[in-house]
Amino acid sequence: MAVLGVYMNKIIVAVLTVIIAVVLASVLYVGYYSREIHVRVATTTSLYATGLLDYLAEAFEEKRSGVVFDFIPVGSGEALRRAANGDACMVFVHAPSLEKKYIEQGVLDEGHIFAYNYFVIVGPSSDPANVSRASSVIEAFKRIYRVGEEGKALFISRGDNSGTHVRELSIWARAGLNPRGRSWYLETGSGMGETLLVANEKKAYTLSDIGTYLKYKKDGRIPYLTILYTNDSELINIYSVYIVKSCSGSERKMAEEFMKFVIGEVGQKLISEYKVKEYGVRLFNPVNGRLELLRSLWVKLSEG
Amino acid sequence: MIILRTLWISGTAVVLSLLWSLPLAYLLSRKPGLAKIMVPVFDALIGVPTVLIGLVLYMLFSSRGPLGFLGLLYTPYAIIIGEAILVTPLITSTTYHVLNNVINTYGELALTLGATDKQAMMVALREGLPGVLASTAMAFSRASGELGIALMVGGNIKGYTRVMTTAIALEVSRGEFESAIMLGVVLVIIVVSTSIAIRFLQRKVYG
Repeated sequence: MAVLGVYMNKIIVAVLTVIIAVVLASVLYVGYYSREIHVRVATTTSLYATGLLDYLAEAFEEKRSGVVFDFIPVGSGEALRRAANGDACMVFVHAPSLEKKYIEQGVLDEGHIFAYNYFVIVGPSSDPANVSRASSVIEAFKRIYRVGEEGKALFISRGDNSGTHVRELSIWARAGLNPRGRSWYLETGSGMGETLLVANEKKAYTLSDIGTYLKYKKDGRIPYLTILYTNDSELINIYSVYIVKSCSGSERKMAEEFMKFVIGEVGQKLISEYKVKEYGVRLFNPVNGRLELLRSLWVKLSEG
Repeated sequence: MIILRTLWISGTAVVLSLLWSLPLAYLLSRKPGLAKIMVPVFDALIGVPTVLIGLVLYMLFSSRGPLGFLGLLYTPYAIIIGEAILVTPLITSTTYHVLNNVINTYGELALTLGATDKQAMMVALREGLPGVLASTAMAFSRASGELGIALMVGGNIKGYTRVMTTAIALEVSRGEFESAIMLGVVLVIIVVSTSIAIRFLQRKVYG
């Protein structure tokens, strides 16, 4: 038993060392981290994944030190829900109908449109539903529905309550159709990238944001898909930034400054130039005096 | 940085969980009646979806939640707490099975040789140590490989709560599959070498 005692002492010393090391590491870590003001920003994954927000935040932090933006990349639905729970100070989203709901609930304070781009209907180049010859987005969806019913086409839906998914559902609703549960209508419940890959494999139609589509196309991951339909009013994708009502103090002050920066001259210029060299086209368009038009489109979209 | 953070968060979670899981396993091995009910429950909970634990903790830690005043949401501590809870059934269950075996053979022997209850426990713990260490390695693998908790309560914040798994998920959503695979390979290397290191340590202690 004496031997055992010595042995146990060794273990106890070892365990204590580990625990002390861990506690020290924690204290140092937090001490290092908490010197700055942190702004909690909930954002849609698609927007964050393009790298635009990190790019804007870095440009902002260059001039304004002592602030760190904690981007929490989730879907538009989840971002707004987290804001409603008081777990974000600022949100970047692109789902007008959801935004309207949370504005009415009094969750969001001041908001601004800061960028826009377009959704595109993509599908196989053989285009069995002749979507490319549709005269409106509603007609395009009606064509897909008809050919889908004939068993000659598939449509892949995000099915995740994201901004893109919400838009897709509102187009079906305006077309007076309900594709849910039809055998040709598949819901992936995952991100835009995964959904594009599924559409590519199945040579199916889907609604995509332009940014994710261009990225995947450029990387050669979706060789069978091509842009079949887009237009600049019904398929506009409007990105807005909001301050959350429950946010206060220095965090709110910084969030407001960042919002001013994003909608201001410098921020708008950065947005318009973002990754243009890489893709040859703009991923995001700045607001540039089109605010009235964008607002009226936003109102229309928010009514679903 | 992200590798160190993952090691730190998952390692702390496992150490924390050991603090209550080991006594719990010992308690169960001493109380067959309780074990009969609890062990199957723990066995089943080993595979509980991480995102479920993440969601429950999110609702607790949210500003509007009952524990919101602690300010734990979006911190590494929230992930540590979640992962410690996550690996509790795993450690408790595997350690229980090991201890049960050991007590049946060595513990009883020690008692019949006139050892006190406390001494018998020490013997059991000593003989069961290899099993406990193996269960620790498994727990570390489970903790560092989980995604749901880190996403829900950590928020995947760059430079603060981003760990290997959430970085992998983000790279996938970015369409950067190659870097996601690279991170995955690193993660596998880390858990395998941790497991080997623990094995090595065990040999050294035993001589």
